[in-house]
Amino acid sequence: MVKDVHDLEHDAFLEEVHSFEFWFQAVEGYLSGTVDGHRPETRDEPPLGSARERLITTLCNYCVGETAALEGASGLIAIAPNRTTKVFLATQVVDEGRHLEVLLRRLVELGVADPESEVERRASPSLQLFRRRLLELVAGRDWEAAIFAQNVILESLEYAVFHSHASNADPITREVLEGIIKDERRHIGFGENELGRRLARSPHIRARLGQVRNQLDHLVLDMLETTAREIGVDRHEQERLGRAYRESVERLGFT
Amino acid sequence: MVDPLLETVEASDGLPEPGERRRFLLEDTGFNEVPARYRRFYRKWRGAGDALAPNEVICPVCKVVIRSTRELRPGDRVYCMPCMSRLVVVRGESGMLEARVAY
Repeated sequence: MVKDVHDLEHDAFLEEVHSFEFWFQAVEGYLSGTVDGHRPETRDEPPLGSARERLITTLCNYCVGETAALEGASGLIAIAPNRTTKVFLATQVVDEGRHLEVLLRRLVELGVADPESEVERRASPSLQLFRRRLLELVAGRDWEAAIFAQNVILESLEYAVFHSHASNADPITREVLEGIIKDERRHIGFGENELGRRLARSPHIRARLGQVRNQLDHLVLDMLETTAREIGVDRHEQERLGRAYRESVERLGFT
Repeated sequence: MVDPLLETVEASDGLPEPGERRRFLLEDTGFNEVPARYRRFYRKWRGAGDALAPNEVICPVCKVVIRSTRELRPGDRVYCMPCMSRLVVVRGESGMLEARVAY
């Protein structure tokens, strides 16, 4: 029995939470018994008409984001600085692959015959550009900038949007999103803490990350506005989403 | 509202000594996002009407409630396992205990 987890030394804590075993036991807690990301007994009450169309467009764009993170995280394993970050990224790759799969399955449940073609057709240009920029950073072996783009900027956006969407989605979409949100906690925490430690040791990287933020911020805010419109949130909620997205970036000292 | 799953471990005379920290027995809160052996250290924030116990703070990164076996005080270190953050407890402007990320 663990006496008090808060008594762990920091190195021991990181070794534990970045381990494959920790990930496996964590996801087992909330995914066990689910099929395609939701409980089998949950009744499907999909939206109809234009609301269904908006949901399909939104899920298609979530698929683009998850694909970007899947490709980004898998590419980052090769340049990760140590074993624990490599193992953590391997668990993130599995998470992102699962997210993409359950979202595509949801599109099929909503009556989309060829979801992958539909994703290509409905993908937001801003999101596609963000994906290209992220993969360029990964290909350029720029660890800090790629982690910043993927695990701080992209994951913070997804975390904020999925939370908001889950609160007013149909029952199955809500359960799918809630499962994804639980995985995203690890991804945003990993990104913020990894970069926070690096910025503390090497403050000179701050200027470069600030440039990355400036290049990507307008794309993110454009995606946020588009998605907020599709999921039907009001202006007040949209502003709250913007603040939620900026929180982790600001905690890292980027204002 | 204090979490009903929390129990204060009472000293032999029923009260902690002055200056001594209260101790808490933690029980499983149903939080299922970390391995079973760690679940009692975390719970979900239940929204309006919820309140933090003296051994709890909210993680600023992922908004999960972090629980300790001890009453928390400024300067304490706590860990948020769901988002893998190390945090330090501080007294916020409101007078309430808050957690700040310690990279």
